[in-house]
Amino acid sequence: MQFTDIIKRSLRNLQSSKARTILTALAIAVGTFALTLTLGASNGAKEYANNIVKSNFDPTELIVSKDPNLFSSQDATKPQVYNPSFGSISTFGGETRQVQYLNSADLAKIATTPGVSSVQPAITVSLKYITRDGQKKYIGTLAPYNSYQKPDLLAGTIPDNIPDKTVILPQGFLSALGFSNAKAAIGQNIRLSVQNQTNQTPSSALINSLAALNSTSNASQETNFKIIAVSATPSTTISAATSLYLYTNLNQVELLNNYIYSGTSSYQKYLTAYAKVTDGTNLTKLNNAKSLVKAEGYSVQTVVDTEKLITQFIGVIEGIVTLFGLIAIIASLFGVVNTMYISVLQRTREIGLMKALGMHRRDVSRLFRIEAGLIGLLGGIIGSIIAVGLGVALNPVISNKLGLGNSRLLIFKPSQIIILIIVLIIVAIIAGLLPARKAAKLDPIEALRTE
Amino acid sequence: MIEVKELTKIYGKKDAAFKALDNVSLVIENKSTVSIIGKSGSGKSTLMHIMSGLDEPTNGTVVIDDVDIFKMKEKKIDSFRSSEMSFVFQSFFVEANATCYQNVMLPLEIAKIGITKRKKMVMEALKAVDLQDKVNAKASTLSGGQKQRLAVARAIVNKPSILFADEPTGNLDSTNGDKIIDLLFGLNKSLGCTLIIVTHDPDIAKKTSMRISIKDGKIEGIEKGPK
Ligand SMILES: Nc1ncnc2c1ncn2[C@@H]1O[C@H](COP(=O)(O)OP(=O)(O)OP(=O)(O)O)[C@@H](O)[C@H]1O
Ligand SMILES: [Mg+2]
Repeated sequence: MQFTDIIKRSLRNLQSSKARTILTALAIAVGTFALTLTLGASNGAKEYANNIVKSNFDPTELIVSKDPNLFSSQDATKPQVYNPSFGSISTFGGETRQVQYLNSADLAKIATTPGVSSVQPAITVSLKYITRDGQKKYIGTLAPYNSYQKPDLLAGTIPDNIPDKTVILPQGFLSALGFSNAKAAIGQNIRLSVQNQTNQTPSSALINSLAALNSTSNASQETNFKIIAVSATPSTTISAATSLYLYTNLNQVELLNNYIYSGTSSYQKYLTAYAKVTDGTNLTKLNNAKSLVKAEGYSVQTVVDTEKLITQFIGVIEGIVTLFGLIAIIASLFGVVNTMYISVLQRTREIGLMKALGMHRRDVSRLFRIEAGLIGLLGGIIGSIIAVGLGVALNPVISNKLGLGNSRLLIFKPSQIIILIIVLIIVAIIAGLLPARKAAKLDPIEALRTE
Repeated sequence: MIEVKELTKIYGKKDAAFKALDNVSLVIENKSTVSIIGKSGSGKSTLMHIMSGLDEPTNGTVVIDDVDIFKMKEKKIDSFRSSEMSFVFQSFFVEANATCYQNVMLPLEIAKIGITKRKKMVMEALKAVDLQDKVNAKASTLSGGQKQRLAVARAIVNKPSILFADEPTGNLDSTNGDKIIDLLFGLNKSLGCTLIIVTHDPDIAKKTSMRISIKDGKIEGIEKGPK
């Protein structure tokens, strides 16, 4: 029998027992539904993580630190041995640790590593306050602007090289600093104040902390910055931590940072630094540079690693839901086996007739395998259509609830769904193997004898 | 020519063994009409099944046009049956959920006849049994006589050289039964196929050119010649 004839015949058989076919397919659809949603959610989560990483890190950079424990967790059950040769003692995530810092010699060394084109320390400046004539003072953070960030701008432009003493102001500060709108802020000056750390002796800070904050100390410095652009508040909640950051060029940030730490043990010491890799979009080059920097005794991470960490977590959740989906599909496969057996029994005489008329064993078997495969196809289509439909309908609601802004939690990729359905067809065909074998082995005489 | 040589068929084993055919030999000329007659349980169907290669004998051979059919590979026998043989059974065996057209199409699908040729062949066959106005009717809606005519149409659509009919009128009243018999004998003339009918009915047997009577698995007698 020709393949098309077998398919037509299978379709007819499925059609003649609609209820049974649909019920069996629905069982498969349940598992497909779960798997499609899982795939959609993990796509969404990965893309979301990717977006966050991309807007906070340059993928062509290495994140370098001197402390070997920075990127991997330390054994928290064993005390750390004191080492007089390095760093300060900090509370790192609530835990007291001795952390090794990078100094300017380290940065220079990293910069000469083959493949590394430039190095810049990872610094943000904690401002004492931000203010403008006639306005209140606000606390804030100043960070170096990187071209990969590309924030949405409400007004102004960001030039390739940000001039000194200019700043990108986040939308959140507009009304606080008394601007009626973003346009009105462009070209205006704001004052940023930093305080030298040596001034804060622990005792006075502890005893007279309120007084210390209010007094304008000699060791404070106020600088005028001109607003060149106003960035919109990002739509995603995860970026909220940085949504009030002010940005200027690295040079300015370093100057202020040096002012804050001059005379302290932390002067020109950095927890991490970014090493830009030449042709860093090329993963091999990125990894080559990574291992070279590592060989010099530093801890190195790439954004790929960071992303891996996030996706690993997503992977675990994904795995659990996938497991349930798979269990549902496996359970439904017994339904396919059962349905196909009933179908073979019901059509014993028809099978006998076909064999008497000279239909090959293999074709008989194929007929039932295809029928099983078609049930798998139907279940896959029903399940994925419902999942996609539901996903499309729920996406805005979920994004709204979770504060994801414009990103969607469920992203469906047609290629994945097609592969899923193909796998379902194959698995259903495997489930139909035994019933198909039974049909193929049927003795035509016996079959024709059954009334 | 069908040559049956020393055919023996034993069902079951040891104590339960039953000899359904006992050393049966006979020769059937091409394009002849043959009836196999005998009491119920005498072995008529068994003989027909073995002659058509549907069942294997315990002993003996069946040679059709100089080919020993039991020396052929399974797929070869299948193909041989689909191109050379056809069957009409006592209890119709039509696919109830399929249309008349689809029912008659089945042997053509099995024989891998090209799609373009099929329609003409199916329509011819349905016309021969006077069912041309039921082309798209579901087989389940047909009367008993119509169902058997449909089965005949399916049996002749591929222009077989041998047509086996196992009590084709057994489930029909005499009017419908006569129609079927006339049809089968007419097809023997028009298509030139060998017609082998298993029957209880002496009136049908009388119409055939060769009458084989079987008793307890043995040939009781073979009569030749018309009437
Ligand atoms: N598979 C089988 N196993 C055991 N015995 C069988 C089997 N098939 C047929 N027989 C026996 O072989 C004998 C011949 O059977 P067969 O069907 O050929 O008879 P028949 O002449 O066609 O009878 P009827 O006119 O009732 O159709 C019967 O006694 C039957 O019980
Ligand atoms: Mg019989």
